[in-house]
Amino acid sequence: MAETPTFKLVLVGDGGTGKTTFVKRHLTGEFEKKYIATLGVEVHPLSFTTNFGQIIFNTWDTAGQEKFGGLRDGYYINGQCGIIMFDLTSRITYKNVPNWHRDLVRVCENIPIVLCGNKVDIKERKVKPKAIDFHRKKSLQYYDISAKSNYNFEKPFLWLARKLAGHQDLEFVASPALAPAEVQVDSALMQQYNEELNSAAAMPLPEEDDDL
Amino acid sequence: MSDNHDTVAVEEETEVHFEPIVKLAAVEVKTHEEEEDSIFKMRAKLFRFVKESNEWKERGTGDVRLMQHKETKKIRLLMRRDQTLKICANHYVTAEMTLTPNVGSDRSWVWNVTADSSDECTGPQTLAIRLANSDNAAIFKEEFEKAQKNNAELKSAEKKDDEKEEKKEEAKEEEKKEEETKEEKKDEEKKEESA
Repeated sequence: MAETPTFKLVLVGDGGTGKTTFVKRHLTGEFEKKYIATLGVEVHPLSFTTNFGQIIFNTWDTAGQEKFGGLRDGYYINGQCGIIMFDLTSRITYKNVPNWHRDLVRVCENIPIVLCGNKVDIKERKVKPKAIDFHRKKSLQYYDISAKSNYNFEKPFLWLARKLAGHQDLEFVASPALAPAEVQVDSALMQQYNEELNSAAAMPLPEEDDDL
Repeated sequence: MSDNHDTVAVEEETEVHFEPIVKLAAVEVKTHEEEEDSIFKMRAKLFRFVKESNEWKERGTGDVRLMQHKETKKIRLLMRRDQTLKICANHYVTAEMTLTPNVGSDRSWVWNVTADSSDECTGPQTLAIRLANSDNAAIFKEEFEKAQKNNAELKSAEKKDDEKEEKKEEAKEEEKKEEETKEEKKDEEKKEESA
């Protein structure tokens, strides 16, 4: 079988704008509320099934905080696409977008880049749509997104995939759902599972503000 | 969201061209649902329990479905996330599973899976599902338990078939043995005669 097309994606932006939460959301589905500053860089393969086959974004989730920044330029080398993230509830994070962009294109010339205004779910939006114009000057794509509500959360990857493959009709499609495994468990293991079930049932699920 | 997201003009498609860096051909992706009927579908949010930190973590929001195989009639639970369509739950609905209420919620169920085959997280899982309301939760439970019964009956039928097969084989073996002993007897008789 041919190797899966893999792209290096560099994810930058100020600390606390939600880069790691966004990556984790795609990776496992979880929404991490705790803020733990990323040190240096964490690389995660994010896989998508498309009507042009499977593709992987090797996502370089970089430290936003200056003091934890580490190698910076080293992380950008051979980057094939980028996402710059800011926080719609924090003007300073938008003000810093040109700096992130400058650093990124200094190393990676002429790569497709998406600008993302994250946390659109929060009512107190500070960076109004009219104020967002940086992407026009630099030919970036822009999306309001929310890692919390999943609003537009697939769009940055979809736009990048279309550009990298040169197919505007590329779409995400249902991945193959192979027949599930069947495992026989002995009674001792079954008992252990049941105990785990009971402790899990006693732990309340996270907040219930979702509309299903 | 609408009150907060007052204009989409800002998100219009940027006119910009990049030279593609890969050559990809359109392909037909098999979902492996082609041989199945979707017999139940409901909006849901799924969670998995993380033992190490004793907390629930979200797995995805989307439609939870019960899929019945057209030939084997076996039913599996399959759930894909909205938008990316990745698989967040994929397992057979077996008799050993017990839908247990989650503390303080009248619209959630918790259960164990010995082998989940979803994207990125596989193996044994403790899952929880939250439905829109308690009515939906009751319907989900009913359908889930029907599927359990269906799969259990298939399994016992399979067992019976196996037992029948075994018995047949045993019977054949017996026959063979009998014939062998007959042959042996004949041989002995012959020996005696010649002696």
